[in-house]
Amino acid sequence: MSHKFWGLLFVVMCLGGPAKAHPHVFVDARTGFIFGTDGQLEALRISWSYDEFTTLILFESLNLDQDGDGQFNDADRAAVIDGETNWDREYKGDVYLEVAGQDYPLGRPEAAAVTLENNQVEVSFDLPLSQPVRIEDAPTFLRLYDPVFFYAYTILPAKDPIALPEGCQAQIVPFEPNAAESALQEKLTALGREEAPTQENVGRLFSDEVRLTCG
Amino acid sequence: MWLRFGAIVLCILAAGAAAWSIVPWFDIQRWAAGEQRTFQNAMAGALRGIQAGDPRAVWTLCSATAAYGFFHALGPGHGKVLIGGAALASGATLKRLSILTVLSSLAQAATAILLVGGLYFLLQIGSADLADITETWLAPASYAAIAAIGAVLVFRGARSWHKIGQAKPAAHDCSGHAHGPSINDVATLTSARDAVALIASIALRPCTGALFVLVIAARFDAFAVGCLAVITMGLGTAAFNLTVVTSGVAARRLAGLGARDHQAMQAVSATLHVTGGVLIIAISIGMLLPYLD
Repeated sequence: MSHKFWGLLFVVMCLGGPAKAHPHVFVDARTGFIFGTDGQLEALRISWSYDEFTTLILFESLNLDQDGDGQFNDADRAAVIDGETNWDREYKGDVYLEVAGQDYPLGRPEAAAVTLENNQVEVSFDLPLSQPVRIEDAPTFLRLYDPVFFYAYTILPAKDPIALPEGCQAQIVPFEPNAAESALQEKLTALGREEAPTQENVGRLFSDEVRLTCG
Repeated sequence: MWLRFGAIVLCILAAGAAAWSIVPWFDIQRWAAGEQRTFQNAMAGALRGIQAGDPRAVWTLCSATAAYGFFHALGPGHGKVLIGGAALASGATLKRLSILTVLSSLAQAATAILLVGGLYFLLQIGSADLADITETWLAPASYAAIAAIGAVLVFRGARSWHKIGQAKPAAHDCSGHAHGPSINDVATLTSARDAVALIASIALRPCTGALFVLVIAARFDAFAVGCLAVITMGLGTAAFNLTVVTSGVAARRLAGLGARDHQAMQAVSATLHVTGGVLIIAISIGMLLPYLD
């Protein structure tokens, strides 16, 4: 059959991937960039505030608040921190840092803390970069997304913003449907010529991002 | 004959593509996800109310789950794909398809109740593992089953094409219709066997949201309330899927408008089988792909 037909099918299949749109967990995320005294980017600060329903699920699955006073004690906090930040090696925490067009490797969560406010659990932690990096004119993007869209992340402005070095700016760029559509379109045109398209990680096309610029 | 089939398929696809491009999918998805989040929070509030012993919370919970089911179904989920494709292809009436839709949503709720009732209570499996089982095993199994049904539709349509092609020379000799395939050869979903296959492939994969409602309700010693809430969630999903069925049947009727005689009706039916089947296969394989890595 015609290319148009396969193109259409591919679009349908792509939409079936990221826009599988069966998010079950809604996360209000807040981000921060931690620079060293030498002006290099050393770590990211991430916080995830879960929706009320997911908070109830956490209570159930981790058996929290056994005394039923609606407050976390130390054991509850430790259980949440362990469940949320002691993740498998292959999991990236749904946190993706891109520096100069390359995925930048990140370490494991540190300095994790947990709070319970307005019936929502909030977990925060620092994610060190594998190597500190000088940003200068390297275009830098921080994206939070789940490739299979079970978790839907929305990036919100930080409650207590971490000061950035002189000349640096971090700007939240919310997901823009038209941008994603045109990026997908470009991919399609590129793929149309040859073999059957492989499923790519299109999840990132649909995520909010934080753009960091210095200098 | 083949040229005509090709023209019909292309027309249906062109109409579908045009309809597809007009609809602002991304905006709808976003809006639906936002609504889903609202109702998810309402569900949480109602569940906390039940824990606190507020009798009105049962109604709040059931209305919230019904709305959640409706908006959750707005995403390109597995059930709709199959039901829409089947409505396009099958010869079943709107009434029969509607009953199938409601039954499949209720069966999906029943799967959730059985899973939680069996695994959570009897085997003490936690909610995180239940969600894992659903996502790791049941979801891909359901997609595969749905793709298989799509393949059956394509096979039936192709077989019917083949028979029509064979019957053609005979049509010159005698009056024709005795040699052609009977309309039943290509009318899918009119048998009980087809109906069970359709319901089972959808019910195989319960909604994770339903599992969580049940598990949380169980923790608050209100499993029965949880069951009620999950059933209303299924009805909410069915309400949305009914709109999909109606569109599928309308599209089928439109495609059949040009067909004047019996043989043309069969040709259209065969073509719709292939079109519906290909769409079902494509979308369900698209959903299956992330699991194959």
